[in-house]
Amino acid sequence: MIWLSKRRYILFMLLPTLLVYLAYIILPVIVSFCYSLTEYSGIGAAIFVGLHNYASLLGDSLFWKSLKNTFIVLLVAFVLLLPGAFLLALLLNVKIKGGNAVKAMNFAPSIVAPILVGLIWVFILDPQMGLINVILKKIGVDQLALQWIGGTKLTPYSVGVVFTWQMIGFLATIFLAGLKMIPRDVYESSSIDGASKLQQLFRITVPMLGETIKINVVLIITGVFKIFETVLLLTNGGPNHLSEVMVTYMYNVTFTSGEYGYGMAIATVTFLLTMVFSLVYMGLSKKNIEE
Amino acid sequence: MNHAASTSSKPMTQLALRKQSARSTGNTGKTVLSYLVTLIVLLPFLWMILLSFKSNSDILNNPFSLPETISFDNYRRALSTLDLALLYKNTFIIVIVTIVIEILITFMSSYALSRMIFRSERLRRSIVALLLTGLAIPAFILLFPVYRLTISFGLLDTYASLIIPYIATSISFNTLLFTGFLRGFPKEVEEAAVIDGCGLLNLGRAVVFPIIMPVVATVFIFNVLYIWNEFPFAVTLISDETMTTISLGISQFKGRFNIDYGGIIAASILLIIPQLIFFAFFQRFIIEGMTAGAVKG
Repeated sequence: MIWLSKRRYILFMLLPTLLVYLAYIILPVIVSFCYSLTEYSGIGAAIFVGLHNYASLLGDSLFWKSLKNTFIVLLVAFVLLLPGAFLLALLLNVKIKGGNAVKAMNFAPSIVAPILVGLIWVFILDPQMGLINVILKKIGVDQLALQWIGGTKLTPYSVGVVFTWQMIGFLATIFLAGLKMIPRDVYESSSIDGASKLQQLFRITVPMLGETIKINVVLIITGVFKIFETVLLLTNGGPNHLSEVMVTYMYNVTFTSGEYGYGMAIATVTFLLTMVFSLVYMGLSKKNIEE
Repeated sequence: MNHAASTSSKPMTQLALRKQSARSTGNTGKTVLSYLVTLIVLLPFLWMILLSFKSNSDILNNPFSLPETISFDNYRRALSTLDLALLYKNTFIIVIVTIVIEILITFMSSYALSRMIFRSERLRRSIVALLLTGLAIPAFILLFPVYRLTISFGLLDTYASLIIPYIATSISFNTLLFTGFLRGFPKEVEEAAVIDGCGLLNLGRAVVFPIIMPVVATVFIFNVLYIWNEFPFAVTLISDETMTTISLGISQFKGRFNIDYGGIIAASILLIIPQLIFFAFFQRFIIEGMTAGAVKG
């Protein structure tokens, strides 16, 4: 292809993409970080304050609350979503009647607009009219009809459940792709050697899915740190910012309170946390595989 | 019975037989279980559909009973409160313009990066790496800077205010898919075309583009869905009511319908159904796109 590889041709082909990308992706990341070093209220000039915003974060109880809530969602996702998606994949890996339709229907929640997901779950989780409490009251266990959303404690757990519902079919599909790559004869020869189904699951399936599990864990981490619409719709972070997660807190500080510098410090920390978590996890699991 | 039959046959067939019977009984159990799980996953949708046919007082006081008469009142109110045509119009103008431009420019850049010969191979590699980093950059960190940028370009409350960030956020994903596909595709056809005197533009239009059509389809459908669902940029950059997109419209339901829950539910159903139909039609491409983005990113 040397004939067409004149420098101005290459430039012509690359320029539009590079321009948009540099202006709207790379530059904003840098700008975000720069604003995080300033105090800026939208009027006048931004005042350079060094790491002051980051220092204030340490003493900001609402920030710690949003961090804690984000970790609760993450915890729920690891307990419910990861094993749930794996089991669903095992179930869907068997040839059944209408298997493709079943797969598609389980996948469906992940293509619905996140904002609609939030709205739908209001009608499931709402303490007064939500499906869960209506059922619980109907069968006479009123004391279990808790304040799933809008109270002081349970919202992040509920957000974790909603996240699980959204992602389970998607992650199961990725697990399924991984399961398909395990050669069948491994199972056949091991069952001739007398391995039980359970042994096969833990000695063959899980270890051979290493890469796939890794992908799903990273997807869960990045996904949880991006949760925004669900919380916005369910509680808008309330009451009193108690159910805020990091992204909603960042959004409220930035666009509702207009503390742009501080908001960008939260954004930067959130972004760095996601990266650190994903990278540390990938590093750890790599070590495990090599050993 | 199976046992009696299998003891008399050779070991290999014995194994096969046992396996077969295990599979068929296991399948019935697993089939039922799969259907059950699917039902649970679909429950929130079904619940919304049930509620959508009930009056507001039934939703609050008697949500469980099946509606006595199927009433479309909620849908009527939803349609009169909500300018559905406007929401779809705005969203799809943005979808179409964004996607035409993004496919064109990312196809061009991906082609250059996978087929043309750079004077420095290291430069080529670093451009590819730079374009792929975007996969790890979450949109929320871009919101405020993009908001500032949009103001300084004087684009606030225009279609372009959303079109440009949507193009930008698609670049990494498209580059991943296009360069991945081109790498696995032999370039002899293109070389032959060039030797026969084909110029750059014709090469792209008549030779390469048709070849990569399947990837273009995946990119296209995946990005339609992304923009259809996108909310953070829309809520940050659009405040003019006549520019409202679908996601943005949904976020305003609570304010618009006040405590008319029936209206909210019916409106949500009216917006979910087209999306589910779209998914049903293009599920292969959507699932392919989402898993490709996840697995390779």
